[in-house]
This record gives sequence, structure tokens and C-alpha cells, in this order.
Amino acid sequence: MEYKVEAHRIMSISLGKIYNSRVQRGGIKLHKNLLVSLVLRSARQVYLSDYYSGVCLNTQHVEAKEWELMDSNQEKPLTPAPEESLSPSTDCNQNPVVPEDPEVQHTSQAVEDSTDLHSVYSKHQAEEESSSEDSTTDVSLTSSPVTCESQCEAKGAEVSSSDCEADANPATVTEGNSQQPPKAHSCSNRKRTAEKTASNDSPVKRTKVTSSNSSEEEAEEMDTGNVSNLITIFGSSFSGLLTKESSEPEAETEDSDSGSGQICCDQMLKNLNPWSTAIVAF
Amino acid sequence: MAGVGGGNDFQWCFSQVKGAIDEDVAEADIISTVEFNYSGELLATGDKGGRVVIFQREQESKNRPLSRGEYNVYSTFQSHEPEFDYLKSLEIEEKINKIRWLPQQNAAHFLLSTNDKTIKLWKISERDKRAEGYNLKDEDGRLRDPFRISTLRVPVLMPMDLMVEASPRRIFANAHTYHINSISVNSDHETYLSADDLRINLWHLEITDRSFNIVDIKPANMEELTEVITAAECHPHQCNVFVYSSSKGTIRLCDMRAAALCDRHSKFFEEPEDPSSRSFFSEIISSISDVKFSHSGRYMMTRDYLSVKVWDLNMENRPVETYQVHEYLRSKLCSLYENDCIFDKFECCWNGSDSAIMTGSYNNFFRMFDRNTRRDITLEASRENSKPRATLKPRKVCTGGKRKKDEISVDSLDFNKKILHTAWHPKENVIAVAATNNLYIFQDKMN
Repeated sequence: MEYKVEAHRIMSISLGKIYNSRVQRGGIKLHKNLLVSLVLRSARQVYLSDYYSGVCLNTQHVEAKEWELMDSNQEKPLTPAPEESLSPSTDCNQNPVVPEDPEVQHTSQAVEDSTDLHSVYSKHQAEEESSSEDSTTDVSLTSSPVTCESQCEAKGAEVSSSDCEADANPATVTEGNSQQPPKAHSCSNRKRTAEKTASNDSPVKRTKVTSSNSSEEEAEEMDTGNVSNLITIFGSSFSGLLTKESSEPEAETEDSDSGSGQICCDQMLKNLNPWSTAIVAF
Repeated sequence: MAGVGGGNDFQWCFSQVKGAIDEDVAEADIISTVEFNYSGELLATGDKGGRVVIFQREQESKNRPLSRGEYNVYSTFQSHEPEFDYLKSLEIEEKINKIRWLPQQNAAHFLLSTNDKTIKLWKISERDKRAEGYNLKDEDGRLRDPFRISTLRVPVLMPMDLMVEASPRRIFANAHTYHINSISVNSDHETYLSADDLRINLWHLEITDRSFNIVDIKPANMEELTEVITAAECHPHQCNVFVYSSSKGTIRLCDMRAAALCDRHSKFFEEPEDPSSRSFFSEIISSISDVKFSHSGRYMMTRDYLSVKVWDLNMENRPVETYQVHEYLRSKLCSLYENDCIFDKFECCWNGSDSAIMTGSYNNFFRMFDRNTRRDITLEASRENSKPRATLKPRKVCTGGKRKKDEISVDSLDFNKKILHTAWHPKENVIAVAATNNLYIFQDKMN
């Protein structure tokens, strides 16, 4: 766990260095940026290896547990929801807010429509963009990074939720079901605001709710989405970089860029399979 | 209290310090390179402001027996100016990255100085005579009225105050896309090489509009870039041999007779990595910041972040000697990464007889290693020890446990006071140590 925190910290620092190198006098130093990108890569590998090993081991276990919880907590989330609608917890307001809303919608859509993953994602992304403009996130984004990030986040939300489940659920499961309902509460208000959800979808929502709740925790763990902040700044800054700079530093930083952007996407990509099977199973 | 020297026990004493005493250091005054010439008579420094200052050693005279060969300013000139590359919207720093002297062939002295993009050949010459008695102009230089000239005379050379002039004789530009990190004069005294992050070019000193590219490690797809060139040097005796070091901790020796493009090395020097010491920063600290051939040409020395290694050119699989410079920093790598100190490029140098090596560290410490006795010493360049001929006291860094008197703990080291550039006189035990904006000159007591 400490390795993950340390790795994450090093990743943030590295991204900051690469970003700052753009404004340094004398131009981008290839050697230093190469070394920083190597550190970034190592840190990312450590970070992801923890993620991946965690998810792989726990996903199947988690899915089974989810069904159990869902059945037992069928009624609960609906009643306390109105109380919580006015108090979006701070952690919900951070980056996970963006993915969570459409994520919930998304899942319900998936269940209702029984469409394949791609169409769900595209719909979801359209919703995502409008919702992200409304929601006040702490990331100031230009339009293209928003799309990129929202896409990432959308996919990532599911992934990170499954990850969170991996992390959170074993603990919660062992501790009993008491923790699940409260988590369900804080996110169920968002579920309420997602107009497309129907009440008969509550089992599905609940499953999703727990996972999105876990993704909150995960976001907290991720230090309030600093990494994704940096990635978007990084991404948007590189569009400027690509137009101005010659191909060599640009390509080098592209390498880093793809490395950092991958941080988000890799998580999803690596974890997509187990979760998508879960969705399809619905 | 023994010092380190060529076999005997020497004691290092303070000799001089050059530079401002101000606590507030202007960035332009930070010394970026130090180099003795072949005889040791001249000592050149380059700074971040693009200036070159040359010191000349005073002849020992009977009048001032105590000034045993002091170095005084001989010439100062602006070598490089800041430039702007309009195509890439990049500013080119004027910082002097390297100075290399040419062997002296006549009364004038020649040196090569380089910034990130352009190399210049400077001629430093003395003028101590002046022609007087011109016919067409008078002493002020004003043209004389031709009608007033009634007689002709032959101008005569009259002595004048010594004037040292520096003039740029050649400018070698537009050959490097990346930042130049090294220049090295070949033993044939006609050619020299210049190295940037991905390429090495071979120049002829007389030809400025062309250079030969002899090494190119740029990958077709820049995203596949894994290593860059960090330093290069020509062999001191074999004009066809040169080496270059990489950011991965490897050194390649190339023979220019083998092919026009020396992408395939003749020898490959690499020490296998110790897997137990692997960390996030293993790659950074293995990057070689300097490579220097010994004067004999039999050995070469490489400096990475924590150690100095001596390699025998005949053995490629590991160095023959490894000296730890500041191993106590290994546990601090993360904070050194955060404050960028881990990217500091330390240089190293041999003494004239190749029996000792020297390199810098933090807190204005510098280290010397005697290759024969295996003794090492840590000394400090500071104004506090700057009484003339005061012997330098060895310093010690306390790595843990109880701190003894006079020891310094790792946490109280000043990482802003770094000694990156040092030079050793080619024949005598005189060393020049650059500490930020000050140049310290130390001499052995026996001198």
C-alpha cells in the first residue's frame, strides 16, 4: 500500500517536472526529460502492478459478493436518499463525481438496453460532456481534454470501481454488510438525479452504487485526483507543445504523455475484461 | 592530516579564491567549466553568462618569493551571447558548457568554447609593442592631410603596456540539433569532436561549414528513445579512437578507421547492475555525467551520481576500481529527485601522473582518491579556510549514529553548494575547484 502511495507521489512529481521543463530557459533538455520519464514509467509500473494484481485476485470474489449484498439491501437506499441529496460529500465532488453520474446512468442503460459496451460508452460520453460542464470539478479543462478525460474517467470509473471493490469489498465483506448501505446512501442521491434510472433498476443501481462509492474511496486514495489533474494539464499542454516544438522533443514528450495518459487508461484497460463480463452478465 | 598526491603524503593548502564574496549570487556568475591548458600556465573558466576568464600563473620571481605561482586574471571576454532560434521558438542559453585548450603552436593561445549549439575557436594573443610613426595617420589615428606630408619615415615598434586580445577565429555553428555536452580536441591537433544528446560530429579546425557525423543514436521513432549520449572524449594518443558515455551507464569505444559512421562500437563497457540496489532512481544514478581518459591512455574514468569508476580499456565487463563519492546519499534519492539535485552532472579529473583522481560533491566538498594507497580524503572549499597557505582540514560526513565533533550530518549538508567542476594542473599538484561563483585554487604545501 505504501508503495502505491510512494509511486503515486513520484508520478505526480515527475509529471510536474516534465511540465515545468517546457518553460525552462534553453529549451527542453532531452536527457533530463528522458530520465524523468523513466522514473515515471517505473513508478507507474509499481502503481499498476499493485492495482492489477489486486483486481485480478478479487474480481470474481467481488462479483459474487455484490449479488449477495444487492439482494439483502434491496429496500434501504431508496428512503434515505432525499436527505443526502443536498449534501454531496466533498469526496464525491472531486473527479469521481464526473464519472459517477454517467456511470450510474451508463450501467442502467446497459441493463435496460442490453446493448453492447461500445454504444453504451458513446452514449455515456455524450451525457458525460454535458454533465461535466455542469459539475464543478477542480480541474479547469478546455473542451478537448474534457472529452479525453471524461472518456478516460468514464471507462476508468468502472475500472476504478471494480478496483475499489477489490480493495474495499473484501474488507467490507469481512466486516459484514453494515458498511454497504451507508456507502449506497451517499451515492444514491446522484442516482436520483440521473433521471433515466427507473426504480425497478434498483438492484442494478445498487451494485453500481457500491462500486461507485468505492471509487470515491479510491479517488481519495489517489489524493483527490491529482494525477488525473496533472494528466489533463499535461495533455492540454502537449497540444501546444506539438505545434510549437520540433519533432524531437515533442516525440520524446509524447512518449511521456502517452505514458502518463496511460496511467488512467491502463487501469481501465487492464481491468476492463472482468468488469465488462459482469455488466454483460446483467 | 595526510593529503593525497602522487605517492607521497601531500598537504593541500589554500592558495587563492577568485570571485565575489556576496551571498547573493548572480546566476550569470556561476562557473560552468574549468580547464587548465597543456602547460598549466593558463587556467580558463567559463560561466553561465557566456563569459570566459583566463588566469595566468605568475612566474616565480625573486622579488616576490611568497607568491608561489599565483594565478591572476589574464584575459576576460564574452564568448557567447544568448540567442533565439526563431524557427523553434527556443532560447539558446549562453552558458559555456565546455572549454578545451588547443596545444600551443606559436605565441598565441587557442581554445575552443561551446554553449548548447555553437562552438567557437578563440585566439588569445598578447600585444606589447605598437607601431609608431605612420605616414598617413598621426598618433591619434586621424588621417593626416596628404599635402602636409613632406617626408617619409619608417614606422618603428615601440613597447606598450601589455594588452591581451581575444578574437574569435572560427565559429562552428548549425551542426547540432540537441544540446552540446562535450567537445574534445584530437591528438592530431587538426580535428576535434563535439557531442550532443544523440549525435557526435567530427570537425576540422580550419573548416567551419562542414562536419562529419560519426555517431548517430537517434532512433527512427523518437518514442523508442531509451538512452542519450552524455559525454565524449578523444583518446589522448590514438587519433582514431574516441569514447562516449550514455545515460544508461555504458561506455562505447569507437574506432574511426572501422567505418565512416561509428554506430557500431569496438568496445562496450558496462558493469552489470546490482539487483539488490534497484529503486525507482536506479536509472538516473547510473547515468554517466563525465568520462575522462587517463593521461597514459590506458585507463578511463567515469562519474555517475554516487561513484567514480576507473576502467581498463582492455577489460569491458567491469571497472577495475570503484570509488564511492557520497554513498550516504543513496537513502536520500527521493528527496534529491524532488529538488532536482539528482540530475547534477559532476565532473572528474586525473592528476598529471594518473595516480590520483578528484571529483566534487555537495556542501562545497570535493573528494580525492589515491589509486595506489586506496586512501581518500574529503576537503571543503570555503572562505573560512581561506588564509593564505592554510592547510585544509579533512572533512567527514556522519552517516548515522553518534556524530563526532567536526563531523557533519547528512541532513545538514547544503545541496545548493555543489562542486561540479574541478581541474588538476597537468604537471604539478595545483587544483582549481569551482564552487558556484567562486574559483578556489589549492596547492600542495611542498610546491
